[in-house]
Amino acid sequence: MILSFDTWQITLFSLAVGLASTVLILPFGITLAWLFARKEWPLKSVVETIVLLPLVMPPVSTGLILLKIFGRRSPLGQWLYNRGFEIVFNWKGVLIAMAVMSFPLLVRSVRTSFGEVNPRLEQIAATLGASPLKIFFVVTVPLAYKGIVAGALLAFSRALGEFGATILLAGNIPGRTQTLSLAIYNFVQVGKDPEAYVLLGITVVLAFVFVWTSEWLLRTEKKV
Amino acid sequence: MDVRFDARVTAIFGPSGSGKTTLLDAIAGLREIASGEIEIGGKTLFSSVRKINLAPQRRNLGYVPQEGALFPHLSVRRNILFGSRRVSRGAAAQSMSMEHVLEILEIGHLLDRSVTELSGGESQRVALARAILSRPQLLLFDEPLAALDIGLKEKILPYLARVRDEFAIPMIYVTHNVTEVLTLADWVLVIRSGRLMAQGLPSETLTSSRAIRAMPEEELENVFTVEFIEADKASGRSRARLSSGDEIFVPYVPTPAQRNIQVRVRADDILIATQRPEGISAANILPGTVRNVEMIEDQSLVRVHAGEIFCVRVTAGAITRLALHEGSAVFLIIKTRSFQLL
Amino acid sequence: MNRIWSYVLRIVTLAFIATAVLLPIGTAARAEEILASAAASLTDALNDIGRSYRQKSKNTVRFNFGPSSGLARQIEEGAPADLFFSADLAQMDALEKKSFVEPGTRRNLLSNQLVIIVPADSKLSISSPKDLLKPDVKKIALAEPSSVPVGVYTSKYMADEGLWEQLKTKVVPVQDVRATLAAVESADVEAGFVYKTDAAVSKKVKIVYAVPIDKGPKIIYPVAVVKESKHKAAARDFMSYLQSAAAKNAFKKYGFVVLE
Repeated sequence: MILSFDTWQITLFSLAVGLASTVLILPFGITLAWLFARKEWPLKSVVETIVLLPLVMPPVSTGLILLKIFGRRSPLGQWLYNRGFEIVFNWKGVLIAMAVMSFPLLVRSVRTSFGEVNPRLEQIAATLGASPLKIFFVVTVPLAYKGIVAGALLAFSRALGEFGATILLAGNIPGRTQTLSLAIYNFVQVGKDPEAYVLLGITVVLAFVFVWTSEWLLRTEKKV
Repeated sequence: MDVRFDARVTAIFGPSGSGKTTLLDAIAGLREIASGEIEIGGKTLFSSVRKINLAPQRRNLGYVPQEGALFPHLSVRRNILFGSRRVSRGAAAQSMSMEHVLEILEIGHLLDRSVTELSGGESQRVALARAILSRPQLLLFDEPLAALDIGLKEKILPYLARVRDEFAIPMIYVTHNVTEVLTLADWVLVIRSGRLMAQGLPSETLTSSRAIRAMPEEELENVFTVEFIEADKASGRSRARLSSGDEIFVPYVPTPAQRNIQVRVRADDILIATQRPEGISAANILPGTVRNVEMIEDQSLVRVHAGEIFCVRVTAGAITRLALHEGSAVFLIIKTRSFQLL
Repeated sequence: MNRIWSYVLRIVTLAFIATAVLLPIGTAARAEEILASAAASLTDALNDIGRSYRQKSKNTVRFNFGPSSGLARQIEEGAPADLFFSADLAQMDALEKKSFVEPGTRRNLLSNQLVIIVPADSKLSISSPKDLLKPDVKKIALAEPSSVPVGVYTSKYMADEGLWEQLKTKVVPVQDVRATLAAVESADVEAGFVYKTDAAVSKKVKIVYAVPIDKGPKIIYPVAVVKESKHKAAARDFMSYLQSAAAKNAFKKYGFVVLE
């Protein structure tokens, strides 16, 4: 049972889309985190709040909002659909739901790490002739990389555990959009507890490994 | 503040919190200023009127901050070479090869070390090398020795002097330490609370009333160049001659390569006597005449000519007790060990 | 240390990419594939029916299981479902009113029976809804009476019997049927309302009263073709299969009442 094809498929699907979602949000998350940590700009606090929202709102609400944004009825949804991009009832919907829900965790973690990099180092690098891009890649990021990796791991774990927004945006379609979380829900709904526990066990083990590693990285981060 | 200067090494001298670091940061382009103008070598770095604001990268300045700020994730070598792509024009470039800089600062053996293994003095020298090798048109120092203890300060100071002499890069040196100013600077600006209090030659300005008013708590020092006569190891002292011909005893040091050495003595370490004392441990008893007596807040500054002009700080009560005034004949009593060699 | 990390990262990335490539993501179907959004409680029955349909027809049917309200919202927002199989009338009515239902395709397919359950080892004697008024019945679990189908039906039924006003103070609203079962299983409540099909799932509860079909609320599971479907013919074909004898047997097997 544990090694049944379905279980493998669900697990690998969840891991693959989770990985893709994390890779997708990395550049945006890192850039935004840097803007939050180092710059002041108009409406900054508004954007900070919006980024944080998926973390505090019930996932179903976020799912509904995403459905409204990406559904075929919306302008964006129509535009994407005309170009062959189906989001709802598709793995792309799973990807977006995971990305949106895990984004705030990535941003917070990376932002904190950037905040712990001594700005004096960046200033000195500037006086030594380094362009802002060089400073970012050669000074800031290497000094904050542990926080970045920890944030990515945390985001990945969150993506794996994502349910509320996923079920609304991507649907619970076995074999096509069903992730570990959705499968657990399904089994529980029809009373198939043993099957649910198997998947639950897999989820817990994965989450434990990733979150533990993330915390370990943050603990061993040197404060400069 | 409106100031213009042109010197090899200009010191900015003032107590903590007087705005020295802010000034330096502004020059380097690391801080926004509301209005003003900064021009170096004829080139405008900043002008609020003409809306010019060069980024720090383009100002071609080397910055040595208080704690060195070495990049902890890079090796010493990569730190030093960080800014070295910039090439300046002029003869300075020739003398500034990497080997030469490493030699002058004696850090060649540290190249492959990790930055976190360096001692305080070593990391300051590495930071210095890094700034020099970026071939700046100007070096900025923000109290680079402040974080070091006294023994280390004495050790690193000569390196700074060497850098000044070997490479032709002008320096702006921020500090609240008188010794550093007197040793390194050709010109000094005295700052307090963001205002310019005085400027001029270090030896004069630092003992001037205006400077003292700016920094009443700071140490006052007298610095002279003296001629070395001979060393006496057994008795633990050496003899030197003031410009007037009077001789003084200074702590033992083997005969140096150059006859002329710099000595300094704190104004607080000199005693004034109206009679020549007997049976006293101090070896230096210099007869002299009081040039003037000045009261500044609760202290008195007495300038005495005794082979050189000595600035002596005593309490107001002493002035009254000894009835000191211009023209009084006095003796200056200075312990051998109060003379410190630079 | 950094070298090891980069190697690990590289291997892991390759492994994931490999599996992602091999996954059945959006396989192109030569024949048509229809998507049916259906209430989660129909999972087992529909999975069986879907499998047997695959052997009969060249078309395949995929299911999207979820709460009826969520499924309806998805359709309203343009989700590409071809069929909608709801657990209650309210959701289907709402969709029909908003013109999301293909006219003439709606069928009331199934029904269910409302039952009262108690913990398997309960000593209480409850043989009718009126017994729920007894003082030793302190708490009654019920899926959210304002939105979840079984909750809606139960509250209407209780109101019709004139018991709702007194009973509603004892009602503990829970998220769904599964939560109701869990509450009764753990004896945190003395009784609960579920469908007969749900009660069959758990061994730790027993049915003490089954509301007679003709007396009870009209629990209806309607199914219809979605108006914006791009596979209407195939959808209609599957719908008629749902009304075939084979399908009806499958539904009955899981305890549903088939409406003729």
